[in-house]
Amino acid sequence: MFGAFVIAAKDLRQRFRDRSALILGFVAPVAVAALMSFAFSGVESFHANIALVDNDRGQIASALRGTLTGPELSDVLTIREASDDAAARRMVDDGDAGAGLIIPAGFSAAAVGDRPIGLRVLGDPDEPLQAQVARAVADAYVAQLNADRLAVHTALAAGVPESRGAELAAAVAKLQSPESVQAQPTGYRQLRTASYYAPAMGIMFVLFAIGFTARSYFAEQRTGTLERIGAAPLTRGVVLLGKSLAAFVYSVVSLSTLAIVSSLAFGAEWGPPVPAFALILAMSAVLVALTALVVATARTERQAEGLATIVTFVLLLLGGNFVLLSQAPETLRRLALLTPNGWALRGFTDLATGAGATSAIVPVLVMLGMAVVLGAIAAIVGRGRLT
Amino acid sequence: MRAALAVAGVSLRRMLRDRTALFFIVVLPVVIITVIGTVVQNPGGFRIGVLADQLSGPQLATSLVDELKSVGPLHTMADEPAARTALRRGEIDAVVLVPTGLDADLLNGKDVRIPVLAGGAESTQSAVRSAVAAAVARHAERVQAAAFAARTTGTTTAEQLPRATALQRVTPRIGISTENIATGSDYLPLGFSYSAPTMLVLFVFINALAGGASIIQTRQLGIYQRAQAAPIRVRSLVLGETLCYLVFALLQSVLIVAVGALLFGVSWGNPAAAVALIGTWALVGTGAGMLSGALFKTPDQASAIGPVIGIAFAMLGGCMWPLEIVPNAVRTLGHVTPHAWAVDAWITVLSRDGGVADIAANLAVLAAFAVAMLGLASIIHQRRLTS
Repeated sequence: MFGAFVIAAKDLRQRFRDRSALILGFVAPVAVAALMSFAFSGVESFHANIALVDNDRGQIASALRGTLTGPELSDVLTIREASDDAAARRMVDDGDAGAGLIIPAGFSAAAVGDRPIGLRVLGDPDEPLQAQVARAVADAYVAQLNADRLAVHTALAAGVPESRGAELAAAVAKLQSPESVQAQPTGYRQLRTASYYAPAMGIMFVLFAIGFTARSYFAEQRTGTLERIGAAPLTRGVVLLGKSLAAFVYSVVSLSTLAIVSSLAFGAEWGPPVPAFALILAMSAVLVALTALVVATARTERQAEGLATIVTFVLLLLGGNFVLLSQAPETLRRLALLTPNGWALRGFTDLATGAGATSAIVPVLVMLGMAVVLGAIAAIVGRGRLT
Repeated sequence: MRAALAVAGVSLRRMLRDRTALFFIVVLPVVIITVIGTVVQNPGGFRIGVLADQLSGPQLATSLVDELKSVGPLHTMADEPAARTALRRGEIDAVVLVPTGLDADLLNGKDVRIPVLAGGAESTQSAVRSAVAAAVARHAERVQAAAFAARTTGTTTAEQLPRATALQRVTPRIGISTENIATGSDYLPLGFSYSAPTMLVLFVFINALAGGASIIQTRQLGIYQRAQAAPIRVRSLVLGETLCYLVFALLQSVLIVAVGALLFGVSWGNPAAAVALIGTWALVGTGAGMLSGALFKTPDQASAIGPVIGIAFAMLGGCMWPLEIVPNAVRTLGHVTPHAWAVDAWITVLSRDGGVADIAANLAVLAAFAVAMLGLASIIHQRRLTS
């Protein structure tokens, strides 16, 4: 057993002396996670900039403008006045406004009559949500006018004589919408890009270490180091254990460093330390099992490298390390749960959004289960190979 | 020239015989294009979660859910905790909890408040709520009209509701029309038309960089020196290797273009512009491969550090996310890489129907990158081989 520690310590010393291992394990994940959180910093929140053209200047048009510029909507949108249609078009086209809203001439007068004039939204195909929001706020405003007109028509159709039309029109003006939206707090934190991509990138770079470790095993076989170790009273199992331990420690240190640096430097949320560390340990255990499987299956250094690369990229792609899984269709999200890194990311996502420490239990157990199964397969394949 | 072709042929065969390399050249690009293309789709509005039992509830509740379809795609959730979890993970943008007593309350003339839980940043939440509020207001129009007609005629709201619903379809309302200002997008089209061209740019470059390993190996084995014993000029050797990389880059491009067009129905735009761009980018890849072979000292360095540089350039250059969303400084920095110029050119070709003339400036910049890298690489190679 002591031999395993000696081998692990030697492997770790070797790894921490290697500049490219340091770059892959520590510098690259921090740099990439920083770049990603910086790149996405502008798209995490939404705000509509709407160019408004009032060609009508009537009473209802002014009231609409008042609603749009009022305090209730100041969170959602900013209104910029445009002198005419062409100016609004230019603003949308140049990106100075995300969408345009045009109140046509005669709008107020026609709004209460039977031939209402519609509003026009100018949309930029690149910013579909801007146009949707412009449309929604205008729609919510005119809904009351539409409801009033519909109320008069329904009453008339229900048998109220036409002669009472004026009376009806006066009565509906006092009506209020019977249904309204009530904002309810979710009690959760928003998932920030940094909180997703920091662990995603960290896991990506530790998965690259599979190839690294597997190659070093075969390099030692090629150079005869393993045979010489065989002269000592150490079994091949102890050698493997030592190497696994080194890979495990490397992965834990790499991910923990990233967790600390990214939380301090760019506000990535890794959740409470204990469950987050449990996820890191479980992910590292799977990493060791995967490495053992690659070493057990491959016959040469080259094969080990190829196999490790393929395993790594398939896991990264399916697990959601490259794409924000929450935006993905459900099938992809299900596929992600076939991979250990997919479970790790789910765990980190839950912790980052404030789901409570217990949310990490299932991901940790699943990953440990995967580690056991993969490790068992590696042991069976490896034993078959040796005998 | 014949010598150069022979060198190219041998090198190319060697590169294509490597099974790990084939994974990177054939399998990985296709899988990545599939995954990213599936994720980067326009959701068509905000993703709204509704509870399963609301889909088959009483009439007003189901018609409200129908109305919500105008906000964006509806996602059916098993129960409220499931909906809240999906919201927290960012899988949906809002949950609308239609109250169970909605029909009874509305028909009895009570006002109803509909709880909406919105996810994302504060401003995004307000935008989602506005969109939901507009749909709710439209639904309320007919309820309000029916209640009014019931009051004026001494009947019940339930009796008047079918009339109001029918009238709502025919009564002129203040409509809102959206007109897209289509002077061309600053983004690539979504879906596979986004992932295929960006991954073409990424993989041609990365695989060329990693392919530099084979030049280094040839050099380390002393094959170039032995070749010089034959009546062969150094220039032919360098030219041969260059040709090999050019063919390699073109093969990679043709593969991705074909897979994109045949499997995913990607339209590659104006053929002349696409061919010019692919050809120029293949030259950039050739330059990158030759330079990687010249600058790296060991094959391991080229195959380990090459992809890291390739991915970093791809991130900066807009292959992993649109440069339109990043802060200005990052965008400017991105244009240090050839990738940004290539992706910009693809945007012009695919989103604005650009021809060769429209991307001439980008082609010129890319050609300059290619010439600079090729020039530098051949100087280094010639010097290494003659000394």
